[in-house]
Amino acid sequence: MALQIIESCVNCYACEPLCPSKAIYMSEKTGHFRINPKKCTECEGDFKDTQCASICPIEGAILDALGVPINPPGSLTGIPPERMAEAMAELQAH
Amino acid sequence: MELPVLNETPAASAGGCSSHSCGTSDDQLGHLSDEIRSKVENHPCYSEDAHHYFARMHVAVAPACNIQCHYCNRKYDCSNESRPGVVSELLTPDQAVKKTMAVAANIPQMTVLGIAGPGDPLANPERTFETFRRLSAEAPDIKLCVSTNGLALPESVEELSKHNIDHVTITINCVDPEIGAQIYPWIFWENKRIKGVKGAKILIEQQQKGLEMLAAKGILVKVNSVMIPGVNDKHLAEVSKIVKAKGAFLHNVMPLIAEAEHGTFYGVMGQRGPTQDELMELQDSCSGDMNMMRHCRQCRADAVGLLGEDRGDEFTMDKIESMEIDYQSAMEKRKVIHEAIAEEMHSKRAAKVEKAASHADEPKLNTRPVLMAIATSGQGVINMHFGHAKEFLIYEASPNGVRFMSHRKTDLYCGGDDTCGDGESVLQQTIRSLAGCEAVLCSKIGYEPWDLLEKAGIVPNGEHAMEPIEEAVMAVYKEMAAAGKLDEAAPQEERATA
Repeated sequence: MALQIIESCVNCYACEPLCPSKAIYMSEKTGHFRINPKKCTECEGDFKDTQCASICPIEGAILDALGVPINPPGSLTGIPPERMAEAMAELQAH
Repeated sequence: MELPVLNETPAASAGGCSSHSCGTSDDQLGHLSDEIRSKVENHPCYSEDAHHYFARMHVAVAPACNIQCHYCNRKYDCSNESRPGVVSELLTPDQAVKKTMAVAANIPQMTVLGIAGPGDPLANPERTFETFRRLSAEAPDIKLCVSTNGLALPESVEELSKHNIDHVTITINCVDPEIGAQIYPWIFWENKRIKGVKGAKILIEQQQKGLEMLAAKGILVKVNSVMIPGVNDKHLAEVSKIVKAKGAFLHNVMPLIAEAEHGTFYGVMGQRGPTQDELMELQDSCSGDMNMMRHCRQCRADAVGLLGEDRGDEFTMDKIESMEIDYQSAMEKRKVIHEAIAEEMHSKRAAKVEKAASHADEPKLNTRPVLMAIATSGQGVINMHFGHAKEFLIYEASPNGVRFMSHRKTDLYCGGDDTCGDGESVLQQTIRSLAGCEAVLCSKIGYEPWDLLEKAGIVPNGEHAMEPIEEAVMAVYKEMAAAGKLDEAAPQEERATA
């Protein structure tokens, strides 16, 4: 049981001090924060909500043990994913 | 010595020329106590007068944030964007201290070091306070200030009061949680992400509590508000009243910056920012209750230099590493320069009052107000070529005197290459940014812009090069009055935008 931070992480450091298991580290290899799966407890016994996923501002950057984003597109910014796709397409066409 | 403060007088109540109001007015801080004045008179972000002379810098040591705002996107990596929350290079406290001392030695008029992000400084207490601790010991001649969303403010007040920090800015966009829920989608509070009205309510309570605690400690508080049309524009006059009552000494209402390419909620959802007129109208309506700040440039979290300029490129970490800084001797040099600037500011202020007094007997004009655009690179004089201006300062001249209104960027928010955008030339864009102005005062101007400005109904004027701004604006206003130009109604906006 462990969460995972993926490459869309923007290195904002918000999660790192919150981790009760000190499982979050800066990876020299990938250049962004990662979670040591051996240390991560998903905050079991410490907090009701997983701390890193509760402060992370980037949708999709943290996955649960099944590899599913804990904060899916639109859940943090409030931007409906269709609207985001539309806006990006408009910008591309420009 | 009493200085008139037009910025706090509601425009409608203007009647009868007070003894020395003609020609002066820029001093928004006129009514403050001497103690507060002495704290802010060399702070470019707090004193309109000071921003012509003194520079500031931000160090980007605070990446984490504890809330989400709909005008912010946490992917902060564009070097061409100039807006809050954006940086190119995140610094450790050690790097920040080196950078600050390098800038202070090379730009001696730099008086203020701020920590403003790119996240929230108080959500990064270790990095922020280590930077402040070291700077107050190693560079005691630099003023320290911090800008926060306020969520973690109450728990930080004690620590803040220990470090030479006598200026704090709190961004307060609302005092009503229902409005707050339309601005802040979530906050992180007591180990939980809290969304909607509930989150906004906690944030607002913390902001107000923090403001009261700072005021009780005698720390100066400026309140920033982002004006979001249709969301909080009608509400901000009330915010202004409340924060003033709780002890804030300056209110800075800034326009929302929202473009789809920034990837922010407001940008992507097509929320518009306010027009220049809407912004000025709101600032005027708040000014009856509060000292308003109108010279904010909404700078990046790693900006360096005078407001309106960014010399960050000269001080990247790789350049700083190779600089040898002897701070002790730099500090001596800085002291001499600061004293010379203070001397210059005082003598200019005295000259202004004297000159105004000498005009006191002149018959009072009964003419409409006029907006003029000024090209300046600082020192309070007209000293910039029209074509070199990246921004213009907008002044209003009226029978009651001259007052600073706002600044307008010519290159909007993107400093990218000239070909991006909708094909409008830089010159056309510049002229469009001057809509509503009837004259532009600069040190020099070329033939092509001269023609285009005239066609747009804006009179170019290069006759007042190196003169103090307020005097020149008043002189041009009087010329316009004498020529009968002010008897006509103001030109239509379409002419200026055509």
